[in-house]
Amino acid sequence: MSGRVEIQDLSISFHGRGGATQALAPTNLTLEPGTFTALIGPSGCGKSTILNAVAGFIAPTAGKILIDGKRIGGPNPGVGVIFQQYALFPWLTALSNVKFALKRLSLPKGEMESRAMDCLAEVGLADAGGKYPGQLSGGMKQRVAIARTLAGEPGVLLMDEPFGALDAQTRLSMHELLLRIWDRRKATILFVTHDVDEALALADIVHVMASAPGRVIATHVLDAPRPRAASKFDTTFPGLRESILGLLRPAVSTQ
Amino acid sequence: MPGPAAVFAGSRDSWVARALEPLTPLLSFAMVLAVWSLVCLSGIVSDSVFPPPWQAWEAAVELYQTGVLASDFAASISRAAIGFAIGATLGIATGLLTGRTALFSLLLNPFLRVMRPIPAIALVPVAIVWFGIGEGSKYFLISYTVFLTVWFNTHHGMEYVPDIYIRASRCLGAPRWREFCTVTIPAAAPHILGGIRLGVALALLSLVAAELSGATSGIGYRLQEARQYIRTDRMFALLIELGLLGAGLDWIVNQIGRRIVHWEQA
Ligand SMILES: Nc1ncnc2c1ncn2[C@@H]1O[C@H](COP(=O)(O)OP(=O)(O)OP(=O)(O)O)[C@@H](O)[C@H]1O
Ligand SMILES: [Mg+2]
Repeated sequence: MSGRVEIQDLSISFHGRGGATQALAPTNLTLEPGTFTALIGPSGCGKSTILNAVAGFIAPTAGKILIDGKRIGGPNPGVGVIFQQYALFPWLTALSNVKFALKRLSLPKGEMESRAMDCLAEVGLADAGGKYPGQLSGGMKQRVAIARTLAGEPGVLLMDEPFGALDAQTRLSMHELLLRIWDRRKATILFVTHDVDEALALADIVHVMASAPGRVIATHVLDAPRPRAASKFDTTFPGLRESILGLLRPAVSTQ
Repeated sequence: MPGPAAVFAGSRDSWVARALEPLTPLLSFAMVLAVWSLVCLSGIVSDSVFPPPWQAWEAAVELYQTGVLASDFAASISRAAIGFAIGATLGIATGLLTGRTALFSLLLNPFLRVMRPIPAIALVPVAIVWFGIGEGSKYFLISYTVFLTVWFNTHHGMEYVPDIYIRASRCLGAPRWREFCTVTIPAAAPHILGGIRLGVALALLSLVAAELSGATSGIGYRLQEARQYIRTDRMFALLIELGLLGAGLDWIVNQIGRRIVHWEQA
């Protein structure tokens, strides 16, 4: 099984006009293959920064990130990213967006077409292949984006508040969809959120972060079986929801 | 969901506007013609200075019957088309190359800031010295102004391609050339198209600037000739022809552009 992510003494600083600011203090995290890890924390605590570093979008200031033992040197198709703003190419149809991810496999034309269709069907959008992103709802766009990323069969899947822009109902159905796909594909998922219930519903492990400087302040292992109903969090994880909210609250109010 | 009240209020506001929509160009021309006619009929200005619409029309018919209208039109449009084609092609090509290179971006902006404000007409003397009074100087003038504006817009479009598209492309494993052709260029396409529309307008502008001095055919030349004979009716006819030509070209470019950049609908 591949998809092991090791974050070793990773720290990241940004250089601005007022000198360097440390967005992330030295941090160590290991994501075991096929696990679902959630990062939760107040705005500005460095969640996206960690994720962007694992994606290869920004270089570590110190420390290193290994994926299956190999140091990452930039974005690569082994690490898929789902963005909050979907990042679909509006000039391509849904199907062509998915095919974009398949191009590097240099498949025969017919197989590429049918694989792309399969990916769309997997997210329940078999009929929307000919539509342009501008003609799709937010939830549908994110499902196309998921299909596109999954088409490349990444071993690691990074998601930065992927459902943050969706309404509560759509978000729940996206959770179901994500768990179903994850169950089948078993990628290693790193999922950024600032919604406690989302983290509790989905993850195996939740890392709670604090800001200034960004760091992990608590880690909880969630071993309850899925699906987990939000109405039963009190009995599934006694006291955990309140404890995490308690960690988030002071950080939010001091802003 | 909006309530029925909101829906009705919205549609009532626009009902009149929507019914009149297809007629608006006609109505607006009719209104201008009416005001123009009234001013002339009132006798406050002399017909030879400010000719009424019907005299301008007669002048246009006269130009048409002598065949000058068609030959001028052909001469002007072919100059504009050739100059535009050269300028736009070079402008897009240069912009595609410079837009994604940080060094060029740094060096280019001060230069463009000085070059862009130079009006086409100020370049006529240089163009004539370099290329003579034949077609060469016209092509040069038109293609230069078109080139500058298309380059500028293409460059900026390429420069400000949203980072998220590039990131998405890279983590989907696209090699750089595929990223350039199928991500960067389409993302910049709306800007490039904006540059092309401006380029069409500028082509017409510099066309007339070039034809007003040192030409023996074309709409601009005919305007200049009308001045020598003090034929204001002709001038008006020719000015209207220029206006219609410009609006028509812009419409065509816009129609084609909307089909190419179909995802960018307001
Ligand atoms: N490109 C950058 N240049 C300078 N500072 C940055 C940059 N990106 C992030 N930062 C800073 O790093 C810190 C962490 O930012 P980050 O985007 O990781 O926060 P976040 O936890 O994802 O917050 P949010 O929940 O609002 O998305 C912030 O203080 C931010 O201002
Ligand atoms: Mg963020």
